Amino acid sequence: MQTKKRSAILLLTIIMMLSIVLTACGGNNNTAGTNNQAANNGAANGAANAGASDTSEEATIKMLLVGGKPADYDQVFGELNKLVKEKINATVEAEFLDWADWSQKYPLKFAANEDFDIVYTANWAFYNDQSLKGGFLELTEDLLSKYAPQTWANMPKVAWDQAKVGGKLFMVPNNNVEITDKVVLIREDLRKKYNLEPVTSPETYAAYVKAIAANEKGINAFQAKAADGWKWHELDQIMLEQQNEWNLVDYNFPLAYKMDDATGKVFNVYDTPEFKQLLAYYKDLADNNGWSRNVVSNKNDVWQDIKAGKAASYAQNIGTVAANIMEATRENVGIELAIADLTPDKKKISAISTQNGLAIHATSKNVERSLMLIDLLQNDKQIHDLSMYGIAGTHYEAVGEDKYNAGPSAANYSPSGFSAWGWNSALNRQDAAYPKVADDMFNTWTSKVYHFPLETFVFDDSKVKNEVANIGNVMLRYAIPLEYGLIKDLDKGQADLIAQLKSAGIDKVQTELQAQIDAFLAAQK
Amino acid sequence: MNRNGLLGEIRKNRALLLMLAPAVLFFLVFAYVPMAGIVLAFKQYNHTGGVFGSPWNGLDNFRFFFESGNAWLVTRNTALYNIAFIIVNNVLQITVAILLFEVAGKWFRKIAQSVMFLPYFISWVVVGAIAYNLFNYDVGTINSILTTFGMEPIDIYNTPSYWPVILVIVSAWKTLGYGTVMYLAAITSIDTEMYEAAEIDGANIFQRIFKVTIPNLYPTIIILVLLAIGNIFRGDFGMFYNMVGNNGLLFSNTDVIDTFVFRSLTTSNEIGLSAAVGFYQSILGFATIMLANYAVRRYDKDRALF
Amino acid sequence: MSASATQTSSKAQTAGKRRGTDVLLLQIIGYIVITVLAVFCFVPFLLVVSSSFSEEQSIIENGFQLIPTTFSTEAYSVLFKYPEQMLRAYGVTIAVTAIGTVAGLFLTAMTAYVLQRKDFKWRNQFSFFFFFTTLFSGGLVPWYLMIIKYLHLKDTLLVLILPMLLNVFYIIVMKSFMSSIPEAITESAKIDGAGDFRIFMQLILPLAKPALATIGLFIALGYWNDWYNALLFISNENLMPLQYYLYKMLGNMEGMRKAMMQSGAVVNVSLPTESLKMAMTLVATGPILLAYPFIQRYFVQGLTIGSVKG
Repeated sequence: MQTKKRSAILLLTIIMMLSIVLTACGGNNNTAGTNNQAANNGAANGAANAGASDTSEEATIKMLLVGGKPADYDQVFGELNKLVKEKINATVEAEFLDWADWSQKYPLKFAANEDFDIVYTANWAFYNDQSLKGGFLELTEDLLSKYAPQTWANMPKVAWDQAKVGGKLFMVPNNNVEITDKVVLIREDLRKKYNLEPVTSPETYAAYVKAIAANEKGINAFQAKAADGWKWHELDQIMLEQQNEWNLVDYNFPLAYKMDDATGKVFNVYDTPEFKQLLAYYKDLADNNGWSRNVVSNKNDVWQDIKAGKAASYAQNIGTVAANIMEATRENVGIELAIADLTPDKKKISAISTQNGLAIHATSKNVERSLMLIDLLQNDKQIHDLSMYGIAGTHYEAVGEDKYNAGPSAANYSPSGFSAWGWNSALNRQDAAYPKVADDMFNTWTSKVYHFPLETFVFDDSKVKNEVANIGNVMLRYAIPLEYGLIKDLDKGQADLIAQLKSAGIDKVQTELQAQIDAFLAAQK
Repeated sequence: MNRNGLLGEIRKNRALLLMLAPAVLFFLVFAYVPMAGIVLAFKQYNHTGGVFGSPWNGLDNFRFFFESGNAWLVTRNTALYNIAFIIVNNVLQITVAILLFEVAGKWFRKIAQSVMFLPYFISWVVVGAIAYNLFNYDVGTINSILTTFGMEPIDIYNTPSYWPVILVIVSAWKTLGYGTVMYLAAITSIDTEMYEAAEIDGANIFQRIFKVTIPNLYPTIIILVLLAIGNIFRGDFGMFYNMVGNNGLLFSNTDVIDTFVFRSLTTSNEIGLSAAVGFYQSILGFATIMLANYAVRRYDKDRALF
Repeated sequence: MSASATQTSSKAQTAGKRRGTDVLLLQIIGYIVITVLAVFCFVPFLLVVSSSFSEEQSIIENGFQLIPTTFSTEAYSVLFKYPEQMLRAYGVTIAVTAIGTVAGLFLTAMTAYVLQRKDFKWRNQFSFFFFFTTLFSGGLVPWYLMIIKYLHLKDTLLVLILPMLLNVFYIIVMKSFMSSIPEAITESAKIDGAGDFRIFMQLILPLAKPALATIGLFIALGYWNDWYNALLFISNENLMPLQYYLYKMLGNMEGMRKAMMQSGAVVNVSLPTESLKMAMTLVATGPILLAYPFIQRYFVQGLTIGSVKG
């Protein structure tokens, strides 16, 4: 029996070794291939640099985009290809990674080194990760100024700087002014019904929440969206960041600096008097039934709840809230909504450019032509309109130079269907039905945008990956219940949270972050 | 064993070996060759290096898990939940299979058996949504019933102690039909002469069940339990994630290795980190199954897995 | 043969149901326990059915209800918005399930038969060889590379069949079932000069019907419910199986909402997701529920070894 077992294990070992050897060979071939390709690219670049860009040979550029394939893809991209063919002698083929599963497929496409040239990326779509792993081609000033000259000229320097990872650029960010400040969508009719002051501050909002909680049975005064791993109370961006003019470096750990602090000193937001105060504020709302006791387990869509009259406020970015109001008007749902900015006088931060962008695959064989295409997508009015909004008269109706109305078959090619946002630019059109209040609010914000040295700073967490992973877990487990008022003793809860963060290694992250910030500021002087 | 002997053995068994060949080839291609990817647990993966060329980083990938302070808690939870599932689910399935076999009504049997299969088809996402409808504090069905009878509502989503019971019930409910089929098949394979012999001996129906039916199910039970034991350190992610979600208050009682790792790694996409935890689960599972199999072998070597 | 088999088994059952308080007691217990459990299993499904026919608005307002207050087929009209796609998805699933089940079941049975042959010297070693793969795995990336880079199976029907062809769990359960077939059958056939493969095909397979029905059911369910292989390897709309088609429809809406919030883009989708989820369950389960009674007889009534022998 013994010998039998031993021989079984032996057999197994042999097979495993065999398989390792087999794959190792395969793997080596693979890497060799990659290196060759990279070398070829280099050579191609060198050659191209020597003369004018050579487009004599027709190229097919494969794009990897995120989102559902539009129903009229063939039609629109057919038109697009006519233009692209004429301008840079190339055709475009797009592959769409569906919203349902893109985050699983996206890294695999790189791991298997599949064939594609341009790929959508963003700070929330693997940008840092793939940059560090070598998935993207580094974009040098040379390449950009030569093959994407308009983009290179039109893009603000801040946008390029924000897109750098470890000092290197891997993305052509979108060129679009956005402000990430969150606002609250409220029920204006209910506010009037209870004669409440306009909601413009945390205090007036608290009054609104309490009034509704006390008088309207069956309505959650505040509702959070279904939990998806977000590690904060949904009002935190407003109440903690915007209200105190702090900037959280990364929402995956609770470290922030003051926007106007030139030294960029980092601190743990949970360990501040402001947070303590905020906890009391939240607890007060929770104790007054401002939100459901099961708010963290919510599985419903908040906006649907609001539309159905089951929830009376939620926090979201201004564009989405404006879209909600458009939808409510369109469908005539019989409730009156309003946008409440709880921090109107505070400094605003413009969104980081890496919210959306396009990158070039590290092993692309069409680097120059890909950059040319990106240049066209961002800056050529005709191509931009076509790729973003579809065919005029069919998918959209142009209204002036910068607005549009949905066309008869808008559903078959819509700007919200897939990640065409990767080439957002000044040429973007706005939906003509966009509520004026939202537009006005946005315009006043742009005048309050605050620029500060650290706005281009991006944290490289590769040395503290383990700690960041554990901190995230602690936040979900200890911070969220505490903030939603589910823990009776606030002081003890806060002390627990801080202690747990310490053992998860927040100090190490803080030290690393501070060191990177100091180095960054020193380099800027 | 000399070479001739081995060749001789191969020749003697060549038909059987040929019959095994497709399966062996299948597992070589789809399991053993990719298994080389285990090295990723010890590497800092990048695309330029690929699976084999990436730099080694020792045990770094294991650090986040073991330094989290939760490794023991989630490992224990995973094992305890699985043990509870194995016991409860199997006992229930065996009972139901026996009763289904014994009850007289043919149509009743058929319909009951089909109906019990229904939960298997309801995805965890939908089960989670139904559970939320039942359990939530404000408008949940359970609390509506409690309050109409003048009782205090219960706050299920904020009370960790309810959850082990809930999860065990849900698991039993979801697997009932599936598992019953397996035991039913085993019962129908029992030689009817054995029943007749038992009856001639004057056994009543309960004695017959305990003396004939159940002992004849032992091989099936042992195999199914052994198979389950190999996976005792792997949590059913779909179930735990859709039932509990990100509700931190419940984690002390509901967090299993798979959900813990999922939450930890949503922000980073490090293949190495998940490979490391997977390796840890494999090693634990391997040790457990070797022990269990050894124990079974000592008792009856024909019943063991290998 | 099947007539005589049913006869014998029903004889065995009537023999077991002689009058007597013990029998009566068992019947009572049996009916009560099974009825309770069946209701327990049925009610949630009823909830799914009735919710799938409810208006989205009423689900949001009142939650899922056993008796719908409103009736609407909106969810189904969304699902069948492109009927030809839906039909094609059904077609792919049915083809994959049929081919996969027949091939998989045959290979599973053949492998299991060899592994349970007591005179096969290396049966334990091979059992271990198979079982080991359930414990250790190299993870998603190498497996994905294998299928995409080396086997080049991307966007083929084969990729939906091949990776799920064999499952160690089924092999081992099948092996355990088969070991209840008397060894004497194999032995006497060998003496008659029959080869191993012929013994398997002509003697063992017919005797293993309950086991084949059971494992076949599991394999078929596995193929029917699989969407993950399609997720990874299928991008051609014409090859999408039903479950993946449904998964995508729902996942797209939820994924889009999430991505738009993160990207700062505008969220502007409104579809009846709750009733849709429920309708999908029904659409995906329906055909199986219809087919189930036809295969059910194999393990509810069963062909028993004893009856064939007798």
